[in-house]
Amino acid sequence: MRRRLDGFELDVAFGADEGRVVLFGPSGAGKSLTLQAITGVMRPDAGRVELNGRLLFDSASGVNLPPQARRLGYVPQSYALFPHLTVEQNVAYGIQRLNAAERRALVQETVVLVGLQGLERRRPRELSGGQQQRVALARALASRPELLVLDEPFSNIDTGLRGTLRRELLDLQARSGITTLVVTHDLDDAFFLGSRIVVIDRGRVLQAGSREDIFYRPATRRVAEFVGTRNILRARVLESDSQRLLLDWQGRVLEADPLPLSGGQDVDICIRPTQVMIVRPDRLPGLPPPENPFCGTVVQEALQAEAYVLRFRLADSPACRTGRAAPYDLEIELPDYVYFRLGLDRKKDATISIHRSAMHVIPVAEVAGARCCPG
Amino acid sequence: MNEGRSPRRVAARAMLSALAPDRITFTLAALLLLIFLVLPVAAILVKVAQATAPLDALGSSVVTEALRLSLVTSSISAAVAAVLGTPVAFLLARYRFPGRAVVDSLVDLPMVLPPAVAGLGLLMAFGRRGILGGALDVLGLELAFTTAAVVMAQTFVAAPFYIRSAKAGFEGVDRELERVSATLGSSRLRTFFRVTVPLAGPALMGGAVMAWARALGEFGATIMFAGNTIGRTQTMPLAIYIAFQNDLTASLVLAGILVVVSFAVLFTFKALLGRSPLGAARA
Repeated sequence: MRRRLDGFELDVAFGADEGRVVLFGPSGAGKSLTLQAITGVMRPDAGRVELNGRLLFDSASGVNLPPQARRLGYVPQSYALFPHLTVEQNVAYGIQRLNAAERRALVQETVVLVGLQGLERRRPRELSGGQQQRVALARALASRPELLVLDEPFSNIDTGLRGTLRRELLDLQARSGITTLVVTHDLDDAFFLGSRIVVIDRGRVLQAGSREDIFYRPATRRVAEFVGTRNILRARVLESDSQRLLLDWQGRVLEADPLPLSGGQDVDICIRPTQVMIVRPDRLPGLPPPENPFCGTVVQEALQAEAYVLRFRLADSPACRTGRAAPYDLEIELPDYVYFRLGLDRKKDATISIHRSAMHVIPVAEVAGARCCPG
Repeated sequence: MNEGRSPRRVAARAMLSALAPDRITFTLAALLLLIFLVLPVAAILVKVAQATAPLDALGSSVVTEALRLSLVTSSISAAVAAVLGTPVAFLLARYRFPGRAVVDSLVDLPMVLPPAVAGLGLLMAFGRRGILGGALDVLGLELAFTTAAVVMAQTFVAAPFYIRSAKAGFEGVDRELERVSATLGSSRLRTFFRVTVPLAGPALMGGAVMAWARALGEFGATIMFAGNTIGRTQTMPLAIYIAFQNDLTASLVLAGILVVVSFAVLFTFKALLGRSPLGAARA
């Protein structure tokens, strides 16, 4: 669908099959606008919105169902609970067509589903943020929508409570079986809640795919940055054949899995911090040599929960040029017990190895415009 | 220079006193105006209490007729202002349309016009020799100098009070609530009555009460457009003014009744608002 608005053009296309789809992007990417077009509160200039074979909007044939006919459960960022109604009345709001007995039964069932028993007669402002969210979910679910739409579901929740609520939402989705579309700019939310992720920025879909696709195989450097890839190295193809890909990274040679690229082409290499190996000093000599070995020093380290995050500077590194406080080339993350077993607490010099398969290579010529997902 | 009087310290102290204003000063300043507002009202009640046989005035049909007429007409005017003013307020609050600023100013105009101008205007529009006079005459309708004219004069001056308040009330309703209501299957009309009106309720009620109070006190437009016929167009303010010319005690008693009734209504409204779930949240 497309929409022009005060110089902002939204042009997105994606599909959502069964399960959980996350629309992920920074603020101002056009996520909320997309949501408004789906829920029907905003009319796109052109495009098509379809739900389970039902046409909700189609500029070509002039179809534009009003929000009340779309059968969507919408949970806005603010939850937008009706402040003048009790929890019970909020949940019952969308099912007024049922008779009183049916309505009462369905409200009770939904209240139990989201775990709000005992709070039926409270008003929204007497509830905590997490409880309010559950009321909003119950209200949306009670009318048995064909799609549940959540806008930034955890932005009003304390960090401590987020984990619990994410798990609850996942569980609720599994039990209710309703296809869910979540909009978020929070990476953790996106990976926790999405089985499919659509990365969107400046009104364009950058990449759409499975969670693993997005996380391990970002299509562009921008997607890699959005999904928090901490090591993105700019390199150039030296040699490419069916066996391997040789890359020049700041005068060092890296060997990667083969890709149909031609010599001289610029590439970005994404390496996840957990996949950089540190070669054991007591490594047995009979073993095959480590792939892509480099010597260097740990210049900075931080302990995060049960993992060490190390900033590693290669020997003779040109990274000093960048003028960073602690110039480093790679970020490495490893479990604490590995850190101690390798003796890194005492000795900061080490040899690292980057496995061929740990390198995700992206050709630099970025694809302009939108990409459609196959789903 | 002495340490204690360094300019920096002086400035710091000045800032401190600006941040924590002296409560006593404010209370004294507030008292000044409060006394000024209360004194005339209290004076009326004191004078009524001092008058010889004040209750005799109540016996006269002039007083009871004026009171009845005032209560009936001001209630009708407030109701008319609310029913006809709600769509106006909603349009002004929710939609951007060409000429919106003009409409907005026109709605406020009766608030700033002298009531005498309002009365003259009503007369020139609806009076026998007014613009619509001929047309009304054909229909056999004569509005000027009837009870209907009293209601028209009151509605004219009181409606802006309702519209102001209702507009602010509608503007204060979170649009997201209305969007959610729509996604939950509600038509626009149902959303309006189930979400928008209840949430704007305190503002709508407040506006209606203010409009009622303004209608109750209406004098200038009424006397010009509706005249001063006992039992038909002589409302309390008119009766007070007429009585003031020859019988001060009767005038005082009428004024006293008006004060008590007005205060009772305003006070009851505020108390009710404070107790409602929404009012408490806003207070």
